[in-house]
Amino acid sequence: MKKKFFCGVDIGSLTTKVVLLDAKGEMVSRAWARSGYAGKEVAHRLLSGMLEKVGARQEEVTVVATGYGRVTYPADREFSEISCQARAIARLFPAARTVIDIGGQDSKVIRISPQGRVLDFAMNDKCAAGTGRFLEVMAQALEVPVEELGHLAEKSSRPLCISSTCTVFAESEVVSCIARGEPKEDIVAGICAAVAARVLALAERVGLEPEVVFTGGVARNKGVVKAMRERYARALAIPPEPEITAALGAALLAMDLGTERK
Amino acid sequence: MSDKQHTLHSARRLGRLMSRYYLSSRYHSLWGPLLRRPLAWVTSGAPVEILRVFGIHPFYPENYGALCGARRASLALCQAAEARGYSQDLCSYARCHLGSLFSPEHAPLKKLPPPDLLVACNNICGTVLKWYEELARRLRVPLLFIDTPFIAGELEDRAVAYVQEQLRAMVEELSRLTGRRWDAARARRIMGLSNEAVLLWREIRYMGRHRPSPLNAPDLFIHMAPIVVLRGTPQAVHYYRLLLSEVRERVKKGIAAVPGERVRLLWDNIAIWYRLNRFFRFFAERGACFVTDTYTGGWDTEMAVREDPLESLAEAYAGIFLNRSLQFRVRQMVELIRDFAVDGFVMHSNRSCKPYSLVQEEIRRQVVEQTGIPGLVVEADQTDPRAFAEETVLNRAQAFLEALAL
Repeated sequence: MKKKFFCGVDIGSLTTKVVLLDAKGEMVSRAWARSGYAGKEVAHRLLSGMLEKVGARQEEVTVVATGYGRVTYPADREFSEISCQARAIARLFPAARTVIDIGGQDSKVIRISPQGRVLDFAMNDKCAAGTGRFLEVMAQALEVPVEELGHLAEKSSRPLCISSTCTVFAESEVVSCIARGEPKEDIVAGICAAVAARVLALAERVGLEPEVVFTGGVARNKGVVKAMRERYARALAIPPEPEITAALGAALLAMDLGTERK
Repeated sequence: MSDKQHTLHSARRLGRLMSRYYLSSRYHSLWGPLLRRPLAWVTSGAPVEILRVFGIHPFYPENYGALCGARRASLALCQAAEARGYSQDLCSYARCHLGSLFSPEHAPLKKLPPPDLLVACNNICGTVLKWYEELARRLRVPLLFIDTPFIAGELEDRAVAYVQEQLRAMVEELSRLTGRRWDAARARRIMGLSNEAVLLWREIRYMGRHRPSPLNAPDLFIHMAPIVVLRGTPQAVHYYRLLLSEVRERVKKGIAAVPGERVRLLWDNIAIWYRLNRFFRFFAERGACFVTDTYTGGWDTEMAVREDPLESLAEAYAGIFLNRSLQFRVRQMVELIRDFAVDGFVMHSNRSCKPYSLVQEEIRRQVVEQTGIPGLVVEADQTDPRAFAEETVLNRAQAFLEALAL
């Protein structure tokens, strides 16, 4: 049967993202929700909703899964997020040579060729520092919603220095900052700076060749973006919906599978 | 594709050979003192040929650590050592070994054959000095220590002379301990046996240059045991002759270690012993074969023949790759990549082995620059399973293999 739609499902550690493309490769729909306990069901629910809206059946869709839960999803094929990110960024930003992606439990830096091939990549050590989870833990300690961290950090005039790289120790450090009565926005700015420093150090392993694109849910955090821009002087491009790039890449790879078959 | 098909038939013979070795270790610990054939616990880079001249039986705690890992006994033993205050940052071979002294009930082989003396050489790392000092204090046995200076550039005569001087003192000490005399002719014979086994091992490793490769890294890791613990004996030579003929036969018949070999890889660092098969199977299922590695090649350099056997030994043991500069190791990898037609390399950043692992990121950068092939670093530990996050590591491995294929 000729496939009418191409879908990318990215079941991440924190959120599940689904992107649907039509036969021409135009984005028809995208959605995301907390992965929770059953990311597979979440993905299924999101995709079913989309298909209902466009009036398509499951058999008319080629699905590629990515993310930590990718093997659980009954997709046509699965790819690692690295390959998916590279594929999406080559489409969105043809001049991009480096992708910095900060997700829930991973941060990664990918160097890509002009054709969108992965040349090299580095990922965070076996440690939550420099990831979305790190920010969540800190937001909890500060009793602010994680979405608010960015706005708070922007208000800071004197960011504090959070020196611990370990999430648990950094949390104690934040708790003692709170106890000392430090302003919330300065603590938050310090946290954002810590994430930026950690990820940029990781980036040096593969080299930061421009153009650099920043993706992943954390790219929505203005505090981290600001801290990254302060440390990395050159332009930093951010897609309008930075959390769905891996899902988009998966959908594009699903399209590639279709062309391979012909 | 059953597992059986890939296992070398020699593996069974190897099992018997190693059982005999461990049995003879026990025998030596019982009868050795009476027969003036003491048992020594030694580091993997100790000049064992000298010990054999004096009829001393070597027992290798590092090899034992690998065994603990492969049998999944390492965690309990590491914890037993940590409970006594040894840091989790200490090498897990050391923790396994020390742990086996404290909790023999958790230890493979139960109580290890106790040593009459200890011989350590810091050509492989600095940890062995403190590890063996600790053993000497606890077990109240003499410790002989050989200090090999780090070789930043070429191996210089004065470094060789410095080590040779220590070997001479060691010979005197062993002579005193065993009541036997140094026999240079016997030393040459034993070194001849070492060289013979080493050359066979090298030839076996070189078989990986064939396409498809008859050997995958786990084969090398399993079959390296005799070159470590039985170096300088006729048994090692005999074993490697048999293994070589089996591997040759594989090549002749075109039998691949990884059926449908598509990607040829190089492995850097010690194995992840507690996941040896499962880890490499992940690659094999995707058509990737580790045709060569840097670790088991540590035992494939022959000793030069010099007038004084101690000079040959000093040269050989001071010159091993872990005692060498970053440039040396880059060159070594670049050559392996060229000789084995390798498409990519995987470095195990091994929390236990600091001298092996600390420089990897820079080696990786330079090797990628010089060869143009990609390299992946995965974090784990040789025997401490707590340092290994399988999901994270395999996720990276998959991305790496995709990048090689796409």
